[in-house]
Amino acid sequence: MTSIQINGLTKRFGTVVAVDNLSFEVAEGSITGFLGPNGAGKTTTLRMLLGLIEPTAGSSIIAGKPYRELADPFRQVGAVLESTSFHPGRRARDHLRVLCTAAGLPPTRADEVLHEVGLADVGDRRVKGFSLGMRQRLGLAAALLGEPELLILDEPANGLDPEGVHWLRNFLRGYADSGRSVLVSSHLLAEIAQTVDDVVIVAKGRLVTQSSLADLAGRKKPGVWVRTPQAEVLRQALGSKGIAAEVQTPDTLVAFEATTEAVGIAAAGAGVVIFEMTTQHFDLEEYFLELTTPTMDPTIEGASR
Amino acid sequence: MKNLIHAELQKLRTTRLIYLMGLLAVAYPLLTTLGAIGNAGRVGAGPPLSTAEGLRNVFDSVSSGGIIVLIIGILIMGGEFRHNTATSTFLISPKRGQVVVAKIATSVLVGAALAVIASLLTLAIALPWLAAKHVHVDIFSRNIGLVLLGGIAVMTIYAAIGVGVGSLIRNQAVAVAVALTWVLVVESLLISFAHEIGQWTPTGATAALTSASRTGLLPMWGGAVLLVAYGVAFAVAGTRFTMRRDIS
Repeated sequence: MTSIQINGLTKRFGTVVAVDNLSFEVAEGSITGFLGPNGAGKTTTLRMLLGLIEPTAGSSIIAGKPYRELADPFRQVGAVLESTSFHPGRRARDHLRVLCTAAGLPPTRADEVLHEVGLADVGDRRVKGFSLGMRQRLGLAAALLGEPELLILDEPANGLDPEGVHWLRNFLRGYADSGRSVLVSSHLLAEIAQTVDDVVIVAKGRLVTQSSLADLAGRKKPGVWVRTPQAEVLRQALGSKGIAAEVQTPDTLVAFEATTEAVGIAAAGAGVVIFEMTTQHFDLEEYFLELTTPTMDPTIEGASR
Repeated sequence: MKNLIHAELQKLRTTRLIYLMGLLAVAYPLLTTLGAIGNAGRVGAGPPLSTAEGLRNVFDSVSSGGIIVLIIGILIMGGEFRHNTATSTFLISPKRGQVVVAKIATSVLVGAALAVIASLLTLAIALPWLAAKHVHVDIFSRNIGLVLLGGIAVMTIYAAIGVGVGSLIRNQAVAVAVALTWVLVVESLLISFAHEIGQWTPTGATAALTSASRTGLLPMWGGAVLLVAYGVAFAVAGTRFTMRRDIS
């Protein structure tokens, strides 16, 4: 089952194309990371999905319908979009109670969600005294009011201290483990790599790739970095064994998609002296940068205008 | 809809601003009325209290609260954008038309309630004072009763216009500044120096409904129809604009 379906979504602001014919799906019961550099169109996409921004073209379905057509959207979808959407002079509990009233939920839900996000002690305080982390939690509390099956969070880790990020990770994991779904956007893969099952990566408003995190990590095999005074000789020896390699400086070389064993055997066969050799572990963050940086990816380059 | 109106009233109750504005909306017409009684018959002020015009001049002051209620209406809508609470409001209730209608209803309720309070307080102070000056007042007479009702109608309709203005002008501070400048400067000048245009403005319609001097104004019923038309026009325009705009 899919909980979110985005079809050819496009948004132009004047001459700027913020989101460009974007399509992807989010499966039920998983945590999906919605990734891309700042300005990639993530927030605009989420706001179109939630009926806050009118798309220039395309459509989106959430919990079976366009968001604006859901009868009680707060029972299906909870969203945390930005940390500043509170009246500074209103008390935290009152903020939630107003939303309960509008939604037809009992006011006691306000206290329950305050407890759930760890703000039970500060419910009587006015929001202007809240730290960014507390505001994020209050936003999350509001999203939880209707006990939704799907949570959407836009850059939730912004402004959180390490403890807050840790808390959020555990919270989202627990949420998904109970069979519900989460879509969480971020401009830092590392920030959510430990939490997400799947990733949707966008850049310049276009889809770069959608896959499970495991598949993404599996796309690139580790390489081997070697320090040797005979780098060019070793490169030729590796080449004759079908291993691609690149001389980086006169005395260092990187063998792609190779093991230290294979490089060692090739070096011994060619009589090459090796001073230092190490496996280059695949860096997901670097790969993410590679995917989303236009100069390094021809498919993205084609999208720029 | 009932839930949404309750939520809007709750929003007002849970911040401090509305109490200050409510106080102003009652105090301003009250002080204007007392000033009118005190100054009546003096050179450069209104006609003496012994005339029908002089009495109307006292009680038409209630409508001066309209400008405060107009600002309350602007704040009810503009506050959502000023503090970005529009996002959570429209996430909970994505049918925006209903939200704006609930805001208009709430503003109208508040405006009418403040108008009634202002009128009652004005009567409570003005009647004994006038009696002490040996001025006979029959508040149920056509002369006074219609002016009082007109003042309440003005404050009620201005509350709806305010929500419309707050919807159409995105920036709350700009909306308040534009509304004040328009009503207090532009319309006043038009009425004073170009009344053939000025009589068609909201202030002109207000004056037609309540004013003591009746020269250069529409008939009373005309003012009432015009003011209601302004209220409906701003309410509809504000609702339609809010339904279409991007919330970001």
